[in-house]
Amino acid sequence: MFRNVFGRLLTETIRVHRCVKNAPLTQRAIPASFSARSFSDVKDEAQQPFDTSLLEFLVCPLSKKPLRYEAKTNELINEELGIAYPIMNGIPNMIPQEARLLQKDAGASTTQD
Amino acid sequence: MAASMRLLLRRVIRLSHRYNNVTAAGVSARSGCCWGPSTCRCFSDVAGDRSTHFGFETVPETEKAKRVYKVFENVAQKYDTMNDVMSLGIHRLWKDMLLHAMHPQPGARLLDVAGGTGDISFRFLEYVRSQQERQKRRTVRSMQTPSSQDISNNYFTEDEDTSQESRAVVCDINKEMLNVGRKRADSMGISAGLSWVVGNAEELPFDDDQFDIYTIAFGIRNVTHIDQALQEALRVLKPGGRFMCLEFSKVTNPVLARIYDAYSFQMIPVLGEVIAGDWKSYQYLVESIRKFPDQEEFKHMIEDAGFYCVTYNNLTSGVVALHSGFKL
Repeated sequence: MFRNVFGRLLTETIRVHRCVKNAPLTQRAIPASFSARSFSDVKDEAQQPFDTSLLEFLVCPLSKKPLRYEAKTNELINEELGIAYPIMNGIPNMIPQEARLLQKDAGASTTQD
Repeated sequence: MAASMRLLLRRVIRLSHRYNNVTAAGVSARSGCCWGPSTCRCFSDVAGDRSTHFGFETVPETEKAKRVYKVFENVAQKYDTMNDVMSLGIHRLWKDMLLHAMHPQPGARLLDVAGGTGDISFRFLEYVRSQQERQKRRTVRSMQTPSSQDISNNYFTEDEDTSQESRAVVCDINKEMLNVGRKRADSMGISAGLSWVVGNAEELPFDDDQFDIYTIAFGIRNVTHIDQALQEALRVLKPGGRFMCLEFSKVTNPVLARIYDAYSFQMIPVLGEVIAGDWKSYQYLVESIRKFPDQEEFKHMIEDAGFYCVTYNNLTSGVVALHSGFKL
């Protein structure tokens, strides 16, 4: 029985790239570890919450003024300068070059000095 | 969209310039906006960027931060293994000596800059925990026969302990290093009192007078403007706070210096290639050590930034120096 599975693995790993839609056969051939890995990756990214006790001493590196935590977009916002610092995996990224301008061009990453 | 396309184009131009060994200030100003931690003079800088050293190479200052970032991005996964191999495990002793000199008390706040994989912070938290346990044991021993007054006093002091928790904040410019560090912390089970922040040592995202201890272990030679980093350190420390810096330095003994040089330039890049698959990063590492000022000069730099009672200790006869200063 196992020889069958191995045989299928060998012949169908190449076909996997192309024939993704042949669900029953390819699913049996793909080792379970692949699907498990993708699940754990998704879990890791979403899991780490941001520790709001950091806000006690965390400030904007440019203006040194306190920041506001925006839970929806998961960012730290400096109202005065109109920039938002992203939080990735629960780690805030306080590099000015990686901050996002809030008002007009959403998605552009430039700095304001 | 247009803005990001412009950024991409500029990056491509800069890459092609780099391969032509560009060090001329004029060209770098033309090639576009700076990625480095220096203030954004990208649109108005015509006077030209100053150049600095990247190992034995000379590069524009704006380039250095990006290249250092790349180096540590490449080595992040194998960083701890390589440290053990290159220093033959001695780096653990150096870090232990730093903690011993620091002697943190329970309730202390540590800022570990260029903390990367978190070695210093882990040691700090363990040290403080063991101190707390020792204190508890001492009080228990002295209170073997408590009076009723003592017992009622104890009920109040229990609440104070929770507000005295020590904290360690690891700050690094490189996300990869922090991710590796966070995984290590999770696997070691250390999570309470430990925070991770991506930040630039020259522009710390912390308020004034916040930390009791500021450490930077084997990171300050990678900073483009060391004086700015020192000034930021002075700013975020509380009055009475301590600045501590572990860094590779000049070996005092000439015989040992020869052996050390041979080992650095012959062995380390080879080990880097074999273990981490990256010759150039480890070549940069070894060269950057040679470019860093020696013990006395660095001590003067720390004094210039405004620290008092600046001292240094040579570890392993000068291979590593532990500098310490106070904000008074």
